[in-house]
Amino acid sequence: MTLSKIIAALCFLLLIAYTWPIVIPEAGRSSNTLVIYGFSILEEVVTAGILPAFQKRWKEQTGQEIRFYTSFAGSGTVMNQIRFGAPADVALFSNALDAYRLKGAGLIRHDWTASPHKGIINRTPIILIVRKGNPKGLSRFQDLERPGVGIVHPDPQTSGGALWALLAEYGAFDLPEGGSAAAAREGMLRLWKNVIVLGSSARAARTQFEMGFGDALITYEQEAVKDLTRGKFNHQVAVPDWTIYSEHPAIAIDRNVPPEKAPLVQAFLDFLWTEEAQKIFVQYGFRSITDERLDAENPYFSTVPHPFTVEAFGGWPRANADIVEGLWRNQILEEVHR
Amino acid sequence: MNNTLSLPRVRLRLPWRGMLISILFLILFPLLIMPIGAIFVFATRDGLSRFIHALTGEGAQFALRLSLFVAMITSLLNSILGTLTAYIFANYRFPAKRPLGILINLPVAIPTVVVGTSLLLLWGPIGLVGRYFDPLGFRPMFAIGGILLAHVFVTFPYMLGAVKPVLDELEVTYEEAAYTMGAGRLKTFWYVILPSLRGALFTGTLLTFAHSLGEFGATVMVSGNLRLRTQTAPLYIFSQFEAGNIEAANAVAAVLAILSFIIFFVLLHVTEREQPDEA
Repeated sequence: MTLSKIIAALCFLLLIAYTWPIVIPEAGRSSNTLVIYGFSILEEVVTAGILPAFQKRWKEQTGQEIRFYTSFAGSGTVMNQIRFGAPADVALFSNALDAYRLKGAGLIRHDWTASPHKGIINRTPIILIVRKGNPKGLSRFQDLERPGVGIVHPDPQTSGGALWALLAEYGAFDLPEGGSAAAAREGMLRLWKNVIVLGSSARAARTQFEMGFGDALITYEQEAVKDLTRGKFNHQVAVPDWTIYSEHPAIAIDRNVPPEKAPLVQAFLDFLWTEEAQKIFVQYGFRSITDERLDAENPYFSTVPHPFTVEAFGGWPRANADIVEGLWRNQILEEVHR
Repeated sequence: MNNTLSLPRVRLRLPWRGMLISILFLILFPLLIMPIGAIFVFATRDGLSRFIHALTGEGAQFALRLSLFVAMITSLLNSILGTLTAYIFANYRFPAKRPLGILINLPVAIPTVVVGTSLLLLWGPIGLVGRYFDPLGFRPMFAIGGILLAHVFVTFPYMLGAVKPVLDELEVTYEEAAYTMGAGRLKTFWYVILPSLRGALFTGTLLTFAHSLGEFGATVMVSGNLRLRTQTAPLYIFSQFEAGNIEAANAVAAVLAILSFIIFFVLLHVTEREQPDEA
């Protein structure tokens, strides 16, 4: 009895001692912290590349240390977390649509499209990742509508990459000569009948593909390039002849940034467009938005014969209304489930 | 449990007894034993040093600390709240006692994700109550406070369930005797009621602790999943797994599994020891 009491007391003391540090950082919060919420595939480049580099710059300029707190998930998930009160100073979204939503909710009050490059920090085309040797001969979005092809797709309800994928699919059927909106509708319907798994983010979809599901994964080129750079890519990249460049904005969340913190937040945003930061993006598989010549530093980028951007569909608010909501959610999703 | 043991046992001599037992093992093995085994096989597959490395990372350490911290505070809060509730229910009559009695056990049945959603819709910046507190800078959601709220809610019935039966059966005469000997209410509670609750409080604490440690559904909604600030161990496992860092996810999963085993066996030990006394 007394022995078990001693053990219980020891366990309790151990627990207190181990968890004690939790109480400390809560107290020591200052203006020198930066809370960054980002979409899934940015995790490595931001935590391992961008933040340490910015920390160094900031220390050189001001002599202060910064502490970063980060969270990464699907772009839509991140947007909703911020909308419901997550304390993000800066959001790194997969597409401008999420920024428009936060603006609509009153969390963003400034015009981020007035920032350099309309707030876009980097870009990457939407491509296919297929199994080694490409046994099913998949390279264009048109190939994915064949019966018997299994597609791993990120979920358009939570993932920004999935929205880019929808636009890429639509454009591939609509934009080439002989294409049309009707062809896009038919093509996407057949393609979506082949979707076997939805991942909550581009990264989650990738993990599912790694677990052995499906013949093709529709995702960012960066996912493949990052692994090719490290020599641990076990699949094959197939670049569609027509595909979209996904472009990723960085935005300060006005509601959460107190005035005394604004200079730090602005300095961080400005840093993202410096050559130093752009080179880090390229190193991690993103393409530079400021200078295409920087892309030459990464030998693993593919050539896209006919790239297009969201401007081909009149910008995000319109593309969302026409393609994501009007076509995908209201027609394709309905018919696929029938 | 003792009653069933003392019943005369009728053993059916089925001709396929051996086969039935083998089938049971065949079902239970992949259903229960192999999945738990997989965690440990994966954890040690690339060597123990990789496992330790994954476990000592800043993110993993913080997540484990936070989960243990939250479990501790949750147990503390619920042992006070649960005992108070049980005491009131055992001793007083008041209007709406029955519906309230049903309501306080409801968290067992509500999906935890629903708890998280409802807390957000109440305390979030656009929530029913939260919108009035938001301008004052009081934002419990996406902070440790929000996690605690969710955990206290979700685990509330466990402490209550452990303490209430004991209080219900506690002889009123002991309490009355204490009063007649001149003990005050507080003194009576401290020297008469509390000692008899010791076992129940211990069991309830362990149950609450274990559930809080593994809570996912409500936490994922209200915590904001902020690394080094609001990311608990289960959220860390989920995030790391989704990001493809299976090693990191698995290391923390193994630790949670071991902790739950320990809690489970302590519970088993305690209840088995107390069982004969009550009979």
